[in-house]
Amino acid sequence: MSENKLNFIVIDDSKLDCFIADKIIQNTGRAESIKVFQQATEALSYINTTPSSATTIVFVDIQMPVMNGFEFVESFEKLPDNLKGNYHIYMLSSSINENDIAKVKGYSSVKHFLNKPLTNDTITAVLEAF
Amino acid sequence: MDSNRKIKVLYIDDEPNNLVSFKASFRFDYTVFIANNTQEALSRLEEEPDISVVLSDQKMPGVTGVEFFEDIQTKYPNPVRILITGYTDIDSVINAINRGHVFRYIKKPWTQADVKSAIDEAHKFYVTSTLLAMKNDELQKAYDELDKFAYSATHDMRGPILSVLGIIDLTKNAEDITEIKEMVSMMENAMLKLDNYIQNLHDHYSIRRGELNITDIDFDNVIKDMSDLYDITGKIKNINFTKSLQQNCKFRSDDISIKIILNNLLSNAFKYQRKDNADKSVFLNVKVDNATTVITVEDNGIGIPDKNLNNVYTMFFRGANDEIGSGFGLYNVKDALGKIGGKIELQSTENEGTKFTVTIPSK
Repeated sequence: MSENKLNFIVIDDSKLDCFIADKIIQNTGRAESIKVFQQATEALSYINTTPSSATTIVFVDIQMPVMNGFEFVESFEKLPDNLKGNYHIYMLSSSINENDIAKVKGYSSVKHFLNKPLTNDTITAVLEAF
Repeated sequence: MDSNRKIKVLYIDDEPNNLVSFKASFRFDYTVFIANNTQEALSRLEEEPDISVVLSDQKMPGVTGVEFFEDIQTKYPNPVRILITGYTDIDSVINAINRGHVFRYIKKPWTQADVKSAIDEAHKFYVTSTLLAMKNDELQKAYDELDKFAYSATHDMRGPILSVLGIIDLTKNAEDITEIKEMVSMMENAMLKLDNYIQNLHDHYSIRRGELNITDIDFDNVIKDMSDLYDITGKIKNINFTKSLQQNCKFRSDDISIKIILNNLLSNAFKYQRKDNADKSVFLNVKVDNATTVITVEDNGIGIPDKNLNNVYTMFFRGANDEIGSGFGLYNVKDALGKIGGKIELQSTENEGTKFTVTIPSK
């Protein structure tokens, strides 16, 4: 597997969890860039205005105020294809709610549901695909 | 149900003499409403929603008593229906009873004892069935809340724990002492957040299940307690905290409920400030007059968007991207106000500020 560099976007209302994700991603040594957003709306407008030519992995928390993870994905899916092509979305949650997990499977743009906290092992498994 | 209040009874008959004698016979036992025809009866039912027993004569021009009962069954399902009729209509009576339209029937000519026992039985039935409906509503509400709670609790209680576990995982490989110190203070914040959540949860259940403890409220003390809590926050965050009190008479209420209300409103006022505002302010004003307390908590913070104004009291609703909101605060305020018979009003403009006005009657 080639160790190509990747872009990352982290969306989580918890500052602490953003910090954890940031560190874990840095530790992989695969990060070209890491963007951290505490508000899903800001992440969405970033994606909307920044043409991305490189593969970008998005970690988005499910339970957030104002715009939650599901709403984010729904808005993301409405973006034009040329904008969203390079984004790979993973949803994160502390929830053990079956409905949430089942709901994640319903979104075609979401690759996987991951349990919090993000650890070295989970991120290694995720990055194997890239 | 208030036992001192008289049972409200509606009697419908096309024969004015019957109406007069009915009213004369029962006016001491019940609050009697009479109607000469079904049209009039409908207006009475509309005006007096807590009529518990309706008696109707069967033979009336245009519409029979049974038909009338069938008509009102959907719109006024609660009042218990009693039919008054002669022997000749026995078939329609049996039919009506079997179809559930009529609770009892009284044969003509009636005796006062017959009617009284029928009304009393009907009223008992009314009380039990409305009570049951009320209890069912409450139960449904409790179930809904429990569902929501179970969902939110996994997130709000596990969240901080998982964050700390994540940090612990990171510290295993961290070498730099400054970085480790930073991580420890982050863990501290996560634990404070969890503690705050559990505190709110405790408030919530003490409001729910707790008995009220009505005492004289000395607002000097209440405001002093709030000053102890918030003067420091104000200093640290550079927010002016202005308090004013005018207590002209005694006021009795539940001390804990009042403190929960004030604490939550103030906590929000201090939390939702605009970062770029040079003159951050919170005003607390308490006025006790005429056995009523009016409390206003006002800030010049971020305000609440119009579309959220109706949701702010909903459990677990969070309108802002802040880290510490639990979605419990205003829900607890509303709950506490419900217990002590108070009201809350909200005025807010985005980017200008929010003002809550709480009105509480003395107990």
